[in-house]
Amino acid sequence: MSEATIPVQAAAPPRLSEDLVAVGLGLGVFLLALVSLVGADVLGWLVTTSVWTDPSTALAPVSKAYASLGGGGALLVTYLILTAVLSAGAYLLGDDVRRFAFAFTAVFAIAYASWFVGSWAHLAAVTPADQAKFGVSWSLKLTNEGGYVVALLAGLAIANLFPTFAERLRSAVRPELYIKIAIVILGAFIAVTMASKLTLASSLMLRGVAAIIEAYLIYWPIVYLIARKGFGFSREWAAPLASGVSICGVAAAIATGGAIRARPQIPILVSSLVVVFAVIEVLILPFLAQLFISHEPLVAAAWMGLAVKTDGAALAAGGITQSLIQAKAAAEGIAYQPGWMLTVTATVKVFIDVFIGVWAFILAYIWTNHINPRAGAQKARLGEIWERFPKFILGFVATFLVTVALALWTNAGSSGQLTAAIGEANVLRVIFFVLTFFSIGVMSNFRQLWQEGFAKLAAVYLVSLFGFVVWVGFVISWLFFAGVKPPLAS
Amino acid sequence: MPKPDLREATSVHEPLLPIEKKLIGWSLGTGLALLVLLIIINHFVPLG
Repeated sequence: MSEATIPVQAAAPPRLSEDLVAVGLGLGVFLLALVSLVGADVLGWLVTTSVWTDPSTALAPVSKAYASLGGGGALLVTYLILTAVLSAGAYLLGDDVRRFAFAFTAVFAIAYASWFVGSWAHLAAVTPADQAKFGVSWSLKLTNEGGYVVALLAGLAIANLFPTFAERLRSAVRPELYIKIAIVILGAFIAVTMASKLTLASSLMLRGVAAIIEAYLIYWPIVYLIARKGFGFSREWAAPLASGVSICGVAAAIATGGAIRARPQIPILVSSLVVVFAVIEVLILPFLAQLFISHEPLVAAAWMGLAVKTDGAALAAGGITQSLIQAKAAAEGIAYQPGWMLTVTATVKVFIDVFIGVWAFILAYIWTNHINPRAGAQKARLGEIWERFPKFILGFVATFLVTVALALWTNAGSSGQLTAAIGEANVLRVIFFVLTFFSIGVMSNFRQLWQEGFAKLAAVYLVSLFGFVVWVGFVISWLFFAGVKPPLAS
Repeated sequence: MPKPDLREATSVHEPLLPIEKKLIGWSLGTGLALLVLLIIINHFVPLG
């Protein structure tokens, strides 16, 4: 994903790019979490939700130090502080702050209510012991991360049944901003997860290289060929479409559109389609993974990273897959250490993201020198690689490296403290995930896309995605990750 | 600049240029070769 996103109507020119705002907010959360290493718990007020049958017992502050707030108080404080901080972000992005704050209030309320509903024991309780503990005779066994699916469905319902309301929410429907902040925080969470098993972790990362080859050198040329030869699309449409299906969805389509000097609306139209199909994938693939390959958790996790487009949807799918497979394993008496599956999905996705700039430069060079060499037209510049580099990844790398260094250089006691500190930041990461899911749903108006004549574009996407992208992704994931299991929880 | 219309996306016949064929061929060839190489490395250097 690069700095490019499906644009939200800005009230003024942005003062900072979305990537830099995301890095600033993500690093801010990370640094506040680290303050607890010196004894000051400054994020303990964040609200968490436990699996519940009695709703009044579900909410609580993440830290006992803030127990006096109670669940409702923690929710209110979390909402107020998030609104204030994200409104500052909206100001930097050139949005109308007042409009953003009102819209965000509704977005937060519905998204968090979805998360709350997803934690209902009938949806979330996993093992027979859990069901007995909560006194429920049946459960969908989604774990409380089933709340992501509830948020997505709520967003879809609003987009398709209440389009006017969806339009009013628009200024706070920013899945790319939310997921980028979450990814920066995720760097620290992944580091804490990996710190105890660095050999396995580094080996898994090396396998991520296969994802780069697959996305850029296998998927892209095949989708481009299908679009051009099979469906007769012009180059201006085929290249952004190939990038949207093959690489990282929205941002790749927009970066490619810029690189080949396509009219700006083309990658945006392609991006709308990417989001819709990503939603469909999120609703199908994790459940297929649980059904058929729950005995190969890391294959399933890598598959989500390779097959599901857009970072938000891919990590969402990784998160759901992790919870579904862990739930199934737990029912069979196997307790995997949490976090490893999401780590593999994130690694695969981040590896793919890193090369968007390089690929866009290659396409820009070919288009401006060979395909469309106009006299006086601006040629491809090497600087475009940096311009299109997704800067939020630098935030991810920074939190990852700092946390690994802290974990390695501290003794076991303070490593426990580090895990607790990052755990508090992770509560916010989960909230940003929920906001992402809900936002993706709100952006997916199926009827509108159909009315705009997307059928043929959708046909290429459908043929490419479910014809080979999903299955080739599965085979490659199997080749590189089969037989490798996450460590067991102690 | 005219606003793009989905109908125009397929209405103009643009044959594949040699440079496009080269891009497709080289990408696929390099990709498959690198994948095979990685599979071999993966076979001899199992996950730790």
